Amino acid sequence: MLEISVKHSLPGFRLDINLTVNGEIVSILGPSGSGKTMTLYCIAGLIRPDEGLIKLNKEVLFSSENKIFIAPRHRKIGFVFQNYALFPHLTVADNIAYGLSGQSVPAINKKVAELLEVINIPALKNRYPAELSSGQQQRVALARAIAPEPEALLLDEPFSALDTYRKERLEYELLSLYRYYKGDILFVTHDLEQGFKLGKQIAIYDNGKIAQYADKHKVISCPANRTAARLAGFKNLVEGRVAISRGNTAEVFIPEFDQNLAVITPASMKLVAGQPVMIGIRPEHLAAAGQPKNNTVRCRLERKVSGVTTLHLYYHALKDHQKRYSLERLCLGFDRNYPDYEESNCYLYFNPQHLAIIPLG
Amino acid sequence: MLEPFLLPLGVSIRTVLVATVITFSLGIAAARMMVNYKGRFSSLIDGLFLLPIVLPPTVIGFGLLLLFGNRGPLGKLLALFDTTLIFSWPATVVTAVIVAFPLMYMTTRGGFEQVDPNLENAARTLGAGEWRLFWTVTLPLSWPTVLAATILSFTRALGEFGATLMLAGNLPGKTTTLPVAIYFRLQAGQMRDALILTVIVFLFALASLALLAYWKKKARQNGRGKQVAGNQR
Repeated sequence: MLEISVKHSLPGFRLDINLTVNGEIVSILGPSGSGKTMTLYCIAGLIRPDEGLIKLNKEVLFSSENKIFIAPRHRKIGFVFQNYALFPHLTVADNIAYGLSGQSVPAINKKVAELLEVINIPALKNRYPAELSSGQQQRVALARAIAPEPEALLLDEPFSALDTYRKERLEYELLSLYRYYKGDILFVTHDLEQGFKLGKQIAIYDNGKIAQYADKHKVISCPANRTAARLAGFKNLVEGRVAISRGNTAEVFIPEFDQNLAVITPASMKLVAGQPVMIGIRPEHLAAAGQPKNNTVRCRLERKVSGVTTLHLYYHALKDHQKRYSLERLCLGFDRNYPDYEESNCYLYFNPQHLAIIPLG
Repeated sequence: MLEPFLLPLGVSIRTVLVATVITFSLGIAAARMMVNYKGRFSSLIDGLFLLPIVLPPTVIGFGLLLLFGNRGPLGKLLALFDTTLIFSWPATVVTAVIVAFPLMYMTTRGGFEQVDPNLENAARTLGAGEWRLFWTVTLPLSWPTVLAATILSFTRALGEFGATLMLAGNLPGKTTTLPVAIYFRLQAGQMRDALILTVIVFLFALASLALLAYWKKKARQNGRGKQVAGNQR
């Protein structure tokens, strides 16, 4: 169990976070410069925070109160750096063995052979890092980090240097390595999709603070606030006021649309009439309809941008006279033959199943 | 017949070899210390280490005379052991080390600072102490720079003249190095001898620097993949 509660200031930036990892995989998700990497550096002891407490399985690694700062080499924490940081002058086997010094030679050889088997490149043990593909380098970095059997493993954007094709294969391989390694894992990424695939919990970072830390399913369905919603992919966010609340459903009045939208209230949430809330929906959950029905908003298509297998459509609600909100809709797949009615006036359907409600204030 | 040339050549070679070994060790130690030292006086110490590059040789020579003279603090210390540095062979080594040290220190430090800090951080998270990571990561990765620094120091030590003359004097076969010999041959009007000695020094220095350039080229060709991949990917 890893417990972190630290504050650290740099000119123009302040990190202030609280995080507990309990034998599982936590994805730290956030834009660059939000303090993700700094958090990992604090845990590993590569940065000494201004104040706070860091504990790993009951052992205090850092405590500003008790003036404790355990040196990185005594922390039992594995670290996979963003650029992998393999020692370029050492072979694959020597890289993996670096953290095993102090053990007997046969023990080191056995462990290295075992890890080479796990990362599936036993034939490459005498190669130098420069002679490996970036995917192989990543696996060596991982093997090197887990060789000394650390109690926690920190991965700093391990896929950022790879192209999309390789990324997906390596994500799969990383998932299979998780089965070999038992311990807390903190995984930093700026990609929601990746954070969701590889993590069990997601911590959303924004400007040095944690906007939301919860089970990944909760993070993508019930964002805690505007920042968490935006980073969890709710690109369409509109403010409104609760008009009617009855048990597990409610109606929210949206001034920009000049109408009510029906929402389903999560069990944990209590809504009262008049309360300001925010409604969020992902672009891919916004559907178009030719006829008005329940929970549709009359819109006009303003712009469309097509990608290889995606089509982004941008709308304005016809009632939105100030044009404050552009609604984004994402169609997946190759089907470009969407109906004509999408061109001019159409109705966008806000499916209550997919609406997130964020209480404001 | 060859003796007038072999004597100063022998003195110079002995002086330069010993001075290079000392400069090598001191330079690496100082560079390693200063890379990690972030204290208040770091700029001052750094300046002190680099000072011999810009000081006139006479200032260095006079300073050393004050230090090692009969009434100087180090001179008094040596007198306790019944020995003196002035006008002795070790004096040529001392001056050579002092003028070569800044080159060794500056170049080596630059090499240490160019090592990707994350490689050192990786070694730390893998349980390496500061000494182990220096010997196994920092030093091996900056080896080409350290070697270049050593050759530079070697050639600088070879060319040392002013301070050596002031501290060690001109005792043939003992303290007369090649540059000192050239000066006194010229003073004595022995143009031919001075010219031959000049050619010797010239070839020596050129050979060292050419070796350095050649070796750097080789290292770049061999190590291109290795270094770049380790640092960039």
